[in-house]
Amino acid sequence: MSDEWSPDPVPGEQHVTLEGWPAVAEADLGEVPSAVELRRFTRKAARTRAGASLGSLLGDVYYAIVVAGTGVLLGLGIAQQLRVALPPPPVTGDFSLSVPTLVAVLLLALAGGLLSLAGRLGPVGAGGAEAAWWLGLPVDRRALLRPAALRLPVVAALVLSLLVGVLDGGLLADDGGHLLRGALSGALAGVLLVLAAGLAQTLGASRRAIAVVGDLVMLAALVAAVLLATAGLSFDRLPVPTWSLVAVLAVVVAGLALLMDSRLARIRERGLRESGSVASQAAGALVSMDSRELGRALSDGSARPTRRWVSALRTARGPATALVTADLVVLRRSVRHLAQLVVTAAVVALVTVLPQLATELGVVVAVLVGGYLAASATAEGARRAEMAPILDRLLPLGPTAVRRLRMVVPALVMLVWSLAVFTALGHWAGNLPGWLALGIASTPAWAAAAVRAAYRPAPDWQKPLVSTPMGALPTGVASVLARGPDVVVLGMLPLWIAIVLRSVSPTLVMAQVVTSVVAVLVASSTSTKSFMERAMEAQEADRTARGGTAR
Amino acid sequence: MAKPVVRANKLLVGYGGAPVCAPVSFTLPEGRALALVGANGAGKSTVLRAVIGLLEPSGGSLTVLGEDVDERSVQFRAKVSSVLDDDAYFPALTVAEHLYLTARGHGMLGARELVDELLEEFGLTEHGRSLPTALSSGQRRRLLLAAGFVRPRTLLVLDEPEQRLDLRMRQALAERLVAEKEAGGAVLFATHDAELVRAVADRAVYVDDASSPLLGADEAADRIAAEPA
Repeated sequence: MSDEWSPDPVPGEQHVTLEGWPAVAEADLGEVPSAVELRRFTRKAARTRAGASLGSLLGDVYYAIVVAGTGVLLGLGIAQQLRVALPPPPVTGDFSLSVPTLVAVLLLALAGGLLSLAGRLGPVGAGGAEAAWWLGLPVDRRALLRPAALRLPVVAALVLSLLVGVLDGGLLADDGGHLLRGALSGALAGVLLVLAAGLAQTLGASRRAIAVVGDLVMLAALVAAVLLATAGLSFDRLPVPTWSLVAVLAVVVAGLALLMDSRLARIRERGLRESGSVASQAAGALVSMDSRELGRALSDGSARPTRRWVSALRTARGPATALVTADLVVLRRSVRHLAQLVVTAAVVALVTVLPQLATELGVVVAVLVGGYLAASATAEGARRAEMAPILDRLLPLGPTAVRRLRMVVPALVMLVWSLAVFTALGHWAGNLPGWLALGIASTPAWAAAAVRAAYRPAPDWQKPLVSTPMGALPTGVASVLARGPDVVVLGMLPLWIAIVLRSVSPTLVMAQVVTSVVAVLVASSTSTKSFMERAMEAQEADRTARGGTAR
Repeated sequence: MAKPVVRANKLLVGYGGAPVCAPVSFTLPEGRALALVGANGAGKSTVLRAVIGLLEPSGGSLTVLGEDVDERSVQFRAKVSSVLDDDAYFPALTVAEHLYLTARGHGMLGARELVDELLEEFGLTEHGRSLPTALSSGQRRRLLLAAGFVRPRTLLVLDEPEQRLDLRMRQALAERLVAEKEAGGAVLFATHDAELVRAVADRAVYVDDASSPLLGADEAADRIAAEPA
């Protein structure tokens, strides 16, 4: 490339300079407006064309407040019932945790969860149109990013204050000033965590690194619970935050907010775009109530951008084994899902040995929730196939066969999970061989639930809405979201009965075998309609046929 | 003497430490156009992303306007105009308002008149008051291109600008880019269009797994034509 090339000015073109460099421009340059003015211009246009009336806005606000209020009251009620129902702490030295210690562990896990979420979401980002049309402008980016930077801290403050309020008022029976200070401290701590994550982002920390720190804090909460219970160490009560502590927290939060604001413009555009893209995807998934998409947004977005090792796929000997091998590779590459399996098994085992939680109801809830979360972790291959059914279409396999083959990996993994968890159940209730037999019998039902949930269709928003005190309930969405959990609840009825009775019998094991077979058959179905819808359609078809015959 | 606007020396780009192509070296002076050509997935767009600061180079050196690339600098953003395939729009802003926002955001005087001129040039006058979601894919591409020209720039970076354009618009774009060079602007673009390379580029870089010397426009166009369909 020779440097002797020289530009030949064209008559009629505007020639301006930008900091010593010649620039091409079709008009003269004036003063660059402030970022606030540009944001205002965009917002004004949006308001003009939004089409939402004041009435509908007030209606939305009303429903939001009513839903949040009802949720808090429900949570408070459940927490208070739990406090009353929990057995008293056993003699010191036994394997146990007091309620205040449990609350402390929960709060630590909550902090870790928030930090992890903040890391996965950025927490500061600019997605879609903002990235494309704002980030290239030569204005102070801080003012453009300020609303995005504020969003997550505000949400964290609201959620944390409500959760801490529910835990404090419900489980610890604090009230009045204690409760207010607790909720305020929770809100400020939530903001502090998000701001800390934001500050790390401005310092160049990757989203993945921040998320991993949050995950480690959650893991630390679990380990702390085990260690405290093993050592028989428990708090009689948690320290009540004083007003001075609240004030100190507020000052720290204000200082951190100012520091982060001053550093907002240091975040690179690439990071802003990635964070914004994840946040948009996650927000879309929330609005459309698509948990699969939410999982993808939060896990893919913070994945390490390296090339993967090439799997030899030695076990792929034909279409069926190729599909199973592919699912296995997907699971092996997802550390998050493997960790999810280990953590859920550990939590269920912990619940069975903590006297305060090891009631029949506590164990049912732990096995149900823990088992469903574990089973979901095993079906990543099926979830990805639902979004992009590449192998499903390429391989010469029928849709029912594909569904059944996709249950193989979840079943194998859940077999191992069940052996660990049902050993704990055996120690909890006695008759270890019986519980292990029940665990093995229930394995296909877990796999069926995971695959049924993975292949559920998109929520149908066109079905009628049912009016409830908490707002309109979209029935089409609810029926879709129930696909998967329905198999867990109904397909494992013998297991739930055994836990409630704290006893396992050959009859219950046989019954579990039968319900597991039914669960597999249900999950093998490729119909996207519910049983009721199919029954009604059959009835309608029958009526039409009879009418035709009569004529 | 024309100053080098972009100078890349053994520039290595990739993701997660894995390079996507062999190191590339080139210098782009003022008033000239350089094309990046190569097969799909060869790494042309990745090189462009490094030039506009969306990707940190894995190795080698890269300077734009005499300095290391830092898109966080207001001056960098004022001088470098890029048109990627960002198919994202404010849902409530019309086509004209998107252009107006860009022009005003860069301090252009007479932004409204300028927007009208560009709408006409890019065949979007009838759609000025439409929302971008109402446009066809090709029309949205024209809007993105118009946004690249509605603001001042020293360096214009385009990623496959010919995509989704009809023949007439491709010819108009080629004329526009030639005028850009003649006005002293530097143009760096990735393309699969042999005719665009012939009409606009002064030199070309063939992006591939192996490093190759700078090519002349005709030679680069011939290599594009020889690529398997």
